[in-house]
Amino acid sequence: MKYPKTFPSIARIARYTLLDEVRQKSFVIMFAVCAIGVFLVRGCYHGNYMVNGQYLDAGTVVRALSKVMFHIIGAGALVIAALLSMRIFRRDRNEGMHSCILSKPIARWQYVVGKILGVWVVSVLFMFILHGIVFLVTSFSLRDFMPEFLAASLLCSINLLFVIVAALLLSLLMPDIVAFLCVLGVGVAGFVADGIAAVSHSQMAQAMMRQSGPAPHSDLTWWKVVYYAWPKLLGVQQSAASLLGSEPFPGFGALYPLINVLLYCLVLGAVLLRRFRNEDIS
Amino acid sequence: MIELKTVTKRYGSLTAVDTVSFSVGAGECFALLGPNGAGKTTIVKMLLDFTQPTAGSLSIRGIPSTDPACRASIGYLAENHRIPPSLSGWHYLLRCAELLDMSRSDAVDQCGRIVELIGMQGREHARAGTYSKGMIQRFGLGAALLGDPKLLILDEPTSGLDPIGVRETRLLLESLKEQGMTVFLNSHLLSEVEKLCDTAAIINRGALLVKDAIRAIVRDGDTLEDVFVRLVKD
Repeated sequence: MKYPKTFPSIARIARYTLLDEVRQKSFVIMFAVCAIGVFLVRGCYHGNYMVNGQYLDAGTVVRALSKVMFHIIGAGALVIAALLSMRIFRRDRNEGMHSCILSKPIARWQYVVGKILGVWVVSVLFMFILHGIVFLVTSFSLRDFMPEFLAASLLCSINLLFVIVAALLLSLLMPDIVAFLCVLGVGVAGFVADGIAAVSHSQMAQAMMRQSGPAPHSDLTWWKVVYYAWPKLLGVQQSAASLLGSEPFPGFGALYPLINVLLYCLVLGAVLLRRFRNEDIS
Repeated sequence: MIELKTVTKRYGSLTAVDTVSFSVGAGECFALLGPNGAGKTTIVKMLLDFTQPTAGSLSIRGIPSTDPACRASIGYLAENHRIPPSLSGWHYLLRCAELLDMSRSDAVDQCGRIVELIGMQGREHARAGTYSKGMIQRFGLGAALLGDPKLLILDEPTSGLDPIGVRETRLLLESLKEQGMTVFLNSHLLSEVEKLCDTAAIINRGALLVKDAIRAIVRDGDTLEDVFVRLVKD
């Protein structure tokens, strides 16, 4: 009997995870509902929209709506990824696959990496297909292909990786649903904070702050430290959306959110591997 | 083949295994006996690195149990074996074979032979959700035999099996023993152990009471059950 090689073992565990997920009825229903929902939104692309008394041309409408859909799908995929991840370890434990896999010559880190990879591929495919539907609708409406839309979708997959690693780690420490809500909380707090930051950087908000009193002595406050250190999920989406030809996200460079989220993935991944190493298998 | 050196496992204030040392030689058919909660499954879990000992060390074929390489020659059947209900027994076996790095064609060949060996022809493509406990146990035993392991670790292998299944399992294990396979058996069925095993260890409350050849443990006129009850009650 040979000692299984590292990467084929990881790939197999990832493949089994992917197959187990797509076999779930709940997953199939969730995917079908999302795909139909995204497809039905195509009706909005043909409406007449008026801004400041002027009708917008079809191209502007389609581009603006596709960008909105891009963000909605990106955020929705984060929720789906957290939902899928939170139950991965519990299901394997309950169905005996934990002990089955780990009684083979497979290291625990290979198992965990295989699981992460499997859920990540499922989630990325989920998001990519939904983005693909918007891409096709947009392309048919504009009679012009926008391949950058798909590239932006792939860039958003970094967010999914963060959510998966965080949900897997937290599901080892607390009940699944609490882990899911915590990850959701991190995402929502980041989105809200980035939204507030975007508004506060607007010209109107700056003018209001100037009128309300003198500026604080120091620019560096704890809130700012927390704000910049917080996982920049919306920042990654904004950076990805900037590929679609919109304006760059104000306040920080397009690369910072990517580095921020990737660093979180690495740190949380290391903690997850360490935590799982000490887990009792039953 | 297996060596435990002063192994201790504590869960908080509870000592599940208390400085246990013994070894099992290659080709030996060994039974680990003890009442419920004696620490048998904890020892098995430590052998497979499912849980780490608080003190001491375990090794299989000279390789520390913490090294995944030591599990390359082990077939394992868990107590209360489970199969994902969405998988068929066939796909479960295929997965187990592939995880041992077999090619698809080798895996299909081996799984075909194993299905015959465990007497599950005709039911292998049904979903595991429709299997009885005994059928799941048979597939579990089949999965443990994949890849021609040198060592079989079986935790209550006859649990859930009917008397015919118990007998068939014993006959199968006897034939494996004749082929030179080392068997580490965790069982409550003392009569089956007495028929099958060469050596046994009895543990109680985590402590090793005796480890010897069954012939040496069971004196004239006694049965293994008599000795077991006497030792555990003392």
